[in-house]
Amino acid sequence: MEFTTEGLAALSKAIAIVGTGFASAWAEKVIGAAAVGAMVENESLFGKALVLTVLPETIVIFGLVVAILI
Amino acid sequence: MSYPKRMTKVLIAGHKRHLETTVDALYEADLLHVEDFVEGDDSDFEIGMPIEYGEEVSRKLVKVRSIANALNVKPTSETVPLTESDVSKQLDVKLAEMDKEIDRNAEELSRLDARVKDLESAEKEVLPFLGYDIDLKYYSGYDNLAVFSGTVSSLNESRLLEITDAYQLFTDSGSKFFVLFVAKKFEKDIQSVLADMGYREMKAPDKSGYPSDIYAALEAEKSEIQAQIESLIAERAALNEKYGNFILASDEFLSILSEKAELPLRIATSEHTFIIEGWVPTNNFDEFTAAVSSKTNDGVYITTLEVDMHDEKEIAKIPVEYENSKIASPMEAVVDLYSRPKYNEIDPSSILAISFPLVYGMILGDIGYALVLMTLAFLVMKFMKSDAVKKLMYVLIYCQISALFFGIIYGEFMGFPLAGLMSHGVYTPGLIPGLETIVFDFGIIAGEPLMFPIHRTHMIMTFLIATAGFGFLHLNVGYIVGFFDVKGQHGVKHAVLEKLSWIVLEIGVIAAIVAWYLGLGTVGIAVGAIIAVIGVVMLAKGEGIKGPIEIPGLLGNILSYTRIIAVGLSSIYIASTVNDIAFGGLIWTPADGFSVMMFISILIFILGHSLNTVLSIIAPGLHALRLQYVEFFGKFYASGGKIYKPFGHLKKYILEE
Repeated sequence: MEFTTEGLAALSKAIAIVGTGFASAWAEKVIGAAAVGAMVENESLFGKALVLTVLPETIVIFGLVVAILI
Repeated sequence: MSYPKRMTKVLIAGHKRHLETTVDALYEADLLHVEDFVEGDDSDFEIGMPIEYGEEVSRKLVKVRSIANALNVKPTSETVPLTESDVSKQLDVKLAEMDKEIDRNAEELSRLDARVKDLESAEKEVLPFLGYDIDLKYYSGYDNLAVFSGTVSSLNESRLLEITDAYQLFTDSGSKFFVLFVAKKFEKDIQSVLADMGYREMKAPDKSGYPSDIYAALEAEKSEIQAQIESLIAERAALNEKYGNFILASDEFLSILSEKAELPLRIATSEHTFIIEGWVPTNNFDEFTAAVSSKTNDGVYITTLEVDMHDEKEIAKIPVEYENSKIASPMEAVVDLYSRPKYNEIDPSSILAISFPLVYGMILGDIGYALVLMTLAFLVMKFMKSDAVKKLMYVLIYCQISALFFGIIYGEFMGFPLAGLMSHGVYTPGLIPGLETIVFDFGIIAGEPLMFPIHRTHMIMTFLIATAGFGFLHLNVGYIVGFFDVKGQHGVKHAVLEKLSWIVLEIGVIAAIVAWYLGLGTVGIAVGAIIAVIGVVMLAKGEGIKGPIEIPGLLGNILSYTRIIAVGLSSIYIASTVNDIAFGGLIWTPADGFSVMMFISILIFILGHSLNTVLSIIAPGLHALRLQYVEFFGKFYASGGKIYKPFGHLKKYILEE
């Protein structure tokens, strides 16, 4: 098997996206569950819960930026 | 930029004999946000007692609500408001009348329901015997015969034969139910054998007649009762129609009275006097005083109280009401979703009215989606009466105007490029024949040439930098707003140290980078670095250790804005994938001419784009919102103000007289 530069670059892009994607998903899962729990107690927390839940979305955006830059 | 409505602290004092009229006057004025009285140890005042009519009102309210519940009364388009005097005059008579009719209806209904249940259980008992044409009376009453009826897991007849052959067995091939007649003297033995087979007894009902006849009679009675139940339910609907309007009006009428009756629980009273403290919008103060004075015949004393605007605790008590232009006011819903501003900080609604749609439009930027969503928003607004929904629709429309604008700049329609483009030797045709993209022969970043309309998919690097640049500007707007905020609250010195220091730091860093880029040598870079260090020192002085710790966060915040292109690209790719599947030659292309496959293509096109339209609200909406809430608000917005709730009630089902 031979590694080409393009192949390695493509693989690196994939790793960047997959890794950050999983990281975002996992973080959002944890926060989302807690946020829904908090909202059951107090509905007016929706705005803050939403913000907290989408906070880790940035991780995958960074991943995407890195993937584009590779 | 504007502050929330200015409030005046008001104190109303008077003799207790004026309390009821005062409460009425305050309710009518609908302006006073009552500050709850807290009983202290050394105070001569204590929390008041509810007004006398309160008890009776709550009793009636409970009754009205239970009737409303039983009849399932809901406001309809035919609900007409009634006058207050009508409601109060008729209330007792109608309440008794409704109570009687509904009680009778409910009693009858529950009696019939119980009867249906009885019939159903009787049917269940007869059901297994339906398969055997034996009169039920023959299942019992023998001297020398034992009868077994029921189910076993599997019937093994040979084991019966071991005991005796003097039996008669009926089995049903469909079910496991069987009937066995056997001589009485073998009853015990047979019983134990059956028990081994998992016998579960199902006794024949104590009735006479053929099971099928009995079953038919039960069914007949059941359907007759069901018809009666239906007519009772129809009667209920008629009652709903007859009284619904009145019930809604009287519910509101009684709620208002009950709210009034309970006001004394929130104010200070002594043996003969009462004191009410609260907040009135400064602009309405004169109107408020005049209204209350005239209603109470000058029986109460109204005065304003000084508020110490340096005492944060005191400021936190002031209720906050927005004061925005008509254009910016829909954004209040978006701000409220986060949290209401504090009384002494700038209300971000009007800034948001620009920056939120701007970011949304930059992300979506598609003429087709913008038009579809705008039409949708207008339709929802036409058919929905709710004010909250209308506000959100206005926000959606603002966003779509911006998306339309950027759609023209990007030249996109439902994922199709409007103008043709020649790039790297490959020609992509546009949707409008003859319209070609103007490609300039120079670029700024990564050799990507500038063009108009801008094809986002061909200028990714440029967009990454441009969106980060936009983020940088946006965040600085945040710092500037923050500067004015802090200036208003704590003075210029604090504002410079806390907010301007960030801008100084940025200028220093930019200066150093520019010096390095232009090759100005160490001196140039050093000047930049010194400015940056000054910024950091100012920041540390203003915010303490917390300030410098946040510096790396600024870079993260700026990079976060690259989501504008990232989310935008995902939307384009979904749209163009749908287009490729529908018209790209997989199923059908316009060159194939008219055929059945054309309809399949159109169906895929519609379904795919419907999905993407929904995503076009959610994805750009959430990301645009997040950039405002997290990145932008983080730079200045403290929030956490108390919501202004004047004592009063918006009358929906009661007419003003």
